[in-house]
Amino acid sequence: MEIIDITWTQLGIGFIIMVVPAYILWKYRTGLNRKLLTASIRMVLQLLFVGYYLQYLFEYDNPWINAAWIFVMVAVADFATIDRSDLKRKWSVILPVFGATFFGIIIIDLFFLEIVIQLPKLLAAQYTIPITGMVLGNCLRSNVIGINAFYYSLNEHQERYQFYLACGATRSEAVHSFFSKALQKSANPTLASMATIGLVSLPGMMTGQILSGSSPLIAIKYQIMIMVAIFSGTILSVYLGIVFTNKFVFNNTDMLDETILKN
Amino acid sequence: MAVSPNISFDNVTFNFEKEQIVTNFSFEAKPGQHTLLKGESGSGKSTLLKLLLGFHNPKDGSISINYKSYNAREVRKQTAWLPQDLNLGSGTVEEVMVKPFEFAANQPSRNERALQNRNKTLKALGLAPDILDKQFRDLSTGQRQRVGLAICHLLDKPLLLLDEPTSALDEASKQKAAELLLNNKRTVISTSHDPFWVAKADNIIELS
Repeated sequence: MEIIDITWTQLGIGFIIMVVPAYILWKYRTGLNRKLLTASIRMVLQLLFVGYYLQYLFEYDNPWINAAWIFVMVAVADFATIDRSDLKRKWSVILPVFGATFFGIIIIDLFFLEIVIQLPKLLAAQYTIPITGMVLGNCLRSNVIGINAFYYSLNEHQERYQFYLACGATRSEAVHSFFSKALQKSANPTLASMATIGLVSLPGMMTGQILSGSSPLIAIKYQIMIMVAIFSGTILSVYLGIVFTNKFVFNNTDMLDETILKN
Repeated sequence: MAVSPNISFDNVTFNFEKEQIVTNFSFEAKPGQHTLLKGESGSGKSTLLKLLLGFHNPKDGSISINYKSYNAREVRKQTAWLPQDLNLGSGTVEEVMVKPFEFAANQPSRNERALQNRNKTLKALGLAPDILDKQFRDLSTGQRQRVGLAICHLLDKPLLLLDEPTSALDEASKQKAAELLLNNKRTVISTSHDPFWVAKADNIIELS
């Protein structure tokens, strides 16, 4: 089955439907119309850039260029994670969050692409780029929830943390309950989507494969694999994100450097 | 329990942001004695306990333990601390009481002995054993304070730091707390306005 291309005119027509949400947002004075306009323009420009860039990536399909692209994606995700976690852009946060996301994504990519799927070519662009993008997008969301929950909860309940330290706990023993809560909060959205997938939502990857002519059964197998990759990747990157940042944001008497927090 | 330590503050100064909280302050807490820090609210009593625990760093001056240089992480292995407002989050009283005994510094043998003594200690502080099943956050301030005092006692550490330990206790509970916690085996440093508790001190240090 051949895929039906969308012309630029058809895409433009598709945007007409945006008048409806824009009207609703305007009518209720949400103040979101300006944001909607900016977000729409950014979405189109970013995707156009990525579309052209991906064409170039697929054409050359060089593992070094593909790895460099993953590096860029992780760097962008790093800053987005820090900003949305309400942390300040300090080196003591930027480097460990980058390291955690990078290690998390590389481990997941190598396991699924090279061991499970066994790509004929190392980091083949057609598989590596979309799968990394999907896992990374979810890692970003979970990292924001997990890292924010950990540091803000620790700061808010520092008497409890200090009480444990004063009882002889090491720093890792004293932060244990905060770590546990952060992992719970960050895992919950992915667990909820795993539990309802197929019933409530048809995920993007599966839909894309079906639209491009794959059999639904192949699409389902890929989707199951990607959900496992997403769940493993998110938990791994949140875990590493907290462990790595912990090494840099406490002083030698185990007190949190509060200047990393925006609020 | 290890030998109770000697604590000394020598010309300690501490600033919080631009405000000077403690200025050139010196005192000594002798082994096995109860030293009481007395002063108005905001005079820096709680801050002195937190300086000793390493939660704040002095701007100037020095703190020593047994006349040797001070290491906050080592000090904490010898202490039990009752903060003014004890908030141990969610969980039953049993869960929050067990938690400190899971730390490596509080050895397993002590853990078992402490758990055996738990009901006895709770009773001594006027708490019925069924309190263990209640949620810690549902307790009254006085009950929380008594649970905190029970943990401090059961940890069986040679240095006890108590911040306003009787502020929410009735007269009978104060007497019981004093009998349980104040003995010549421990060095105790406390802060209080309460005349009952002040009368139980071996040394009183006035803060201006």
